[in-house]
Amino acid sequence: MIKTLSISNSKLWRNRLKFDFWSLLIVLLLMCFLPLLDLSDYTLGILIVAMYLAIVAMSWNLLAGYCGQFSMAPAAFAMIGGYIVGLSDFHAQLSLWISVPLAIVGTAILGALLGLTVTRLKGPYLSLTTLSFAEISRVIISNSHEYTRGDQGLNVPSMINDRLSYYYFFIVLVLLTGVFIYWLMRSKLGGFLLAIRDDQEGAESKGIDIVFYKLVAFTISCSLCGFAGAMYGSFSQLVSPEMGLLQQTGLVISMVVIGGIGSLTGPVIGAILVYLGSEWLREIGNIQMIVFAFVVIIFARFFRTGIWGFCLGLKQRLLQNHHE
Amino acid sequence: MRILQLIKLNLSVVVLGLFTLEAFAAEPILIGLSITRSPPGSVIQGTQIKDAMEIYADMINAKGGLLGRPIKLVIEDNQGLPEKGRSAVEKLITRDKVVAVTGAHQSSVCLSEIEVAHRYQTPYVNTNCWADSVRIKGYPEVINTSPYNFIVADSMAETLKAMKVKRVVAFAENTDYGIGLAKGVGEALKRKGSTIDYKFETLDRSSKDFTPAILALKSNPPDVVVLTMLPPAAYIALNQLYEQGVAPSPKTLVYDGAGMADYPDFWQNVKDAGKYMMTIGMYHPDMKMNDLSKQIAVEYKKRTKNDPNRLIYQAVDSLLVITEAIRQAGTTDSAKILDVMRKSKFEGARGLMTFDTFPGVSYQQWAAIPYVNYQLTDVNQAVGKTTLLQGPGMPLNTSKITMPK
Amino acid sequence: MLFLDLTVNGLIMGLFYALMAVGLSMIFGVLRIINFAHGEFFMIGAYTYALIATSFGINPWFTLPLAALGGAILGLVVERLLIRPLYDGYRSWSFVKDEYAVVVTFALSLLLIHLVDKVIGPSPFMGPSLFSMQRISIGPIMLNGQKLISSGVSIFLLISLAIFIKKSLWGKQIQAVAQNRFGAALAGIDPVKTTALIFAIAGGLAALSGALLSPIVNHSPDIGSFPAIKYYVIVVLGGLGSIWGSMFAALILGVLESYFAVYVSYDYRDAFGLLILICVLIFRPNGLAGMKGREI
Repeated sequence: MIKTLSISNSKLWRNRLKFDFWSLLIVLLLMCFLPLLDLSDYTLGILIVAMYLAIVAMSWNLLAGYCGQFSMAPAAFAMIGGYIVGLSDFHAQLSLWISVPLAIVGTAILGALLGLTVTRLKGPYLSLTTLSFAEISRVIISNSHEYTRGDQGLNVPSMINDRLSYYYFFIVLVLLTGVFIYWLMRSKLGGFLLAIRDDQEGAESKGIDIVFYKLVAFTISCSLCGFAGAMYGSFSQLVSPEMGLLQQTGLVISMVVIGGIGSLTGPVIGAILVYLGSEWLREIGNIQMIVFAFVVIIFARFFRTGIWGFCLGLKQRLLQNHHE
Repeated sequence: MRILQLIKLNLSVVVLGLFTLEAFAAEPILIGLSITRSPPGSVIQGTQIKDAMEIYADMINAKGGLLGRPIKLVIEDNQGLPEKGRSAVEKLITRDKVVAVTGAHQSSVCLSEIEVAHRYQTPYVNTNCWADSVRIKGYPEVINTSPYNFIVADSMAETLKAMKVKRVVAFAENTDYGIGLAKGVGEALKRKGSTIDYKFETLDRSSKDFTPAILALKSNPPDVVVLTMLPPAAYIALNQLYEQGVAPSPKTLVYDGAGMADYPDFWQNVKDAGKYMMTIGMYHPDMKMNDLSKQIAVEYKKRTKNDPNRLIYQAVDSLLVITEAIRQAGTTDSAKILDVMRKSKFEGARGLMTFDTFPGVSYQQWAAIPYVNYQLTDVNQAVGKTTLLQGPGMPLNTSKITMPK
Repeated sequence: MLFLDLTVNGLIMGLFYALMAVGLSMIFGVLRIINFAHGEFFMIGAYTYALIATSFGINPWFTLPLAALGGAILGLVVERLLIRPLYDGYRSWSFVKDEYAVVVTFALSLLLIHLVDKVIGPSPFMGPSLFSMQRISIGPIMLNGQKLISSGVSIFLLISLAIFIKKSLWGKQIQAVAQNRFGAALAGIDPVKTTALIFAIAGGLAALSGALLSPIVNHSPDIGSFPAIKYYVIVVLGGLGSIWGSMFAALILGVLESYFAVYVSYDYRDAFGLLILICVLIFRPNGLAGMKGREI
């Protein structure tokens, strides 16, 4: 019989998680009010893409931040999810009601398969295998012109016509993802994932089936990415192989690191700030990529716990002062 | 050197800008450019297009602008990525409120951008996306001043047929342009009833080594190797074809379908491998140059120290269609501008442009785009000194083709 | 005939892969991190070579070591500024160490690519050949003069490196730190200096590889990404941290790729290498000659 690990009972952890979740809700609430600033369709579009990336970032954080599996394939799975929807529309004219669940299931299966291959690997081996998988899928999709139209991409039907409605729809999606992950991490499963992250041998010695739980983490994370990709595809009405570029994965990882790895809110604020930042830097002219890369380096170097960690530290210091 | 050039360029723009600001207190008419200014896209093309359009914009402003207002180019970088293209065009249309968008030079980016233009019903003038799919979509907002795969394929097939060769192998890059053109040549050959044995091989344009594919040809080289690839992959392919002795050789010639012989960095990157290359070209100094193109050529040479090429004129013509349409319509209203674009004739730098609305590969395309076929006969040869195999609107003269010894 | 041609071509490409992979493997072996900016060391080397040789008209043979020096210096700078925090006194890093390395090196690679693109320009470059003949026939095989010379230089370098690591004092220190960092420190070796040395060597090798290839691959600022994926494959195939393993894996990958490209399919040629990687990782996770990385 597996006893519940102390970590999931730990008051400290539960309180922190709860605080995390409530901050996420507040962030999303604030975002609900943003359109009052009379934002253009263009800005709303940017925020929507940022939220798509936020969902991918949260999924990656589930796998890497909470479970310690440092996968390089989040963008690839988002691309696969988008392509499942695109292919369903292109070849079989399936409606989104069918193709989106298909995308979720398809990426879940692929994620499970990938998880199976890497379950016995660790460290750089894990990263490299997932990286290879990501590149292989991108090359295959990009070169199979007969089926995928190669770099032209595939058209995806849109679900909603109004930009503003799409914006709120995506806020709901981020909320649902956050609730889901919160619920997961509160449960016993969450505790096991954390245990695997912190001390794999120790967890195993307590009788936790690490292979099974790693597999679960992979499956859930990859299918969430696939779902995000499908939603993005529907918004932009076009999926292309560039969605799965390693550069995109790097972007997602940067977002989580800057926002704060190992938290719920971190990936979301990271995604929004980083993506808004890269668009805002457009204004500066064509040194935007240089500035962006530089900022990411500075953050990674000097703000290790990310913005979220920084805020958490602030809060604790404030509380301490309060209690004094 | 580049910094000095940049300073000079900026100074002249600033002076011109001050002049125009003084002359008109009126609000400028904004025209949006979505080009590539950073990798992974083709930055060279983007820069050429930007330079050319700036020259033409300055010319217009010097003459008093449009409808009493100066024109201003708003430039966005799409990095050669469809998603960035989408957001760039959306920003141009919804935030900057441009009257029209132009500058596109990469087909996959173009395809995502026209979706946005279509949604907002904004005129979109395609500068250099050759892919058939852009036209076949049939969006009424898209006007094509760019060469198109169909006609390039047709001309190349015609040339191949006239050369009376037996076997042709094409190397296509794995993009819509490359594969579309390579397929198009095959289809055109069939249409013309040719019996040439034609096949094409798709190569990854991000790869740096095509030797295996080239080696496979060595034992039985074809009569012509067609290239539908863009630099830098195209340069590498050319170099490796030469290095392996496959082409150019007494039996085999290279026939380029991308018109890269007039790129400013062509010779420095291929050296000996470029000799004897046949190519289709959208521009040749022997083509009749009207006053406009002569002016552009002089100004372009002055600003960038480079000779003009077809991309420059394509860019100027795209901008010209927009400005002339605004002038003729007397307004910046999208629907009226588009109406004028469809119905009117435009005297551009390359000739008289019309856009008919027959659906298919030439929908709203300048169908009678002039082109030539020519052959490079010496290393570092300027385009003007090459052998014209087919002048504009004239039949092909295959006797002029030189083979290496 | 084709087979022979392909084999020779594959071996030559493999030699170039090896120069890059060996450096990556060394970094892996000592720090257990992925260096995403390794391709950019290659790119900087190629550009340094091409620019110095054409602007100052220096003999290409003298420019080669200059390019390598440039790469080595870059490696040192990167190590000092960005990598050192990973192991020099920051104990709480163990949790986010991998992520940090990826983010920082990934951002660095973006930074370098766009810097070069802005400062030097986006056009492809072709450095001067060491040997001006573009075609040489050796028996039935036709080769590019530059490729031939570069292969020779590469072989020389790789063998020198192997000897260096095996026999020299520094080389033994590198081996010690790779095996057990703490233990090496106890034995009196300075792991920080050794790591810096490794970065310098890796950077120099990658830059040199770029310089050698500069006349062959018309390089633009984003050329670093082409080698990158292959090298990860090679390093894992060969076994993390094993130089001989990486070398052989590089040669094998070069040859197999050539065969695959012609006999099976050109389109999926790059995917092929990655497929091999996955298979090897499943069935023989230590690679050909590597250290233990497998877990169970």
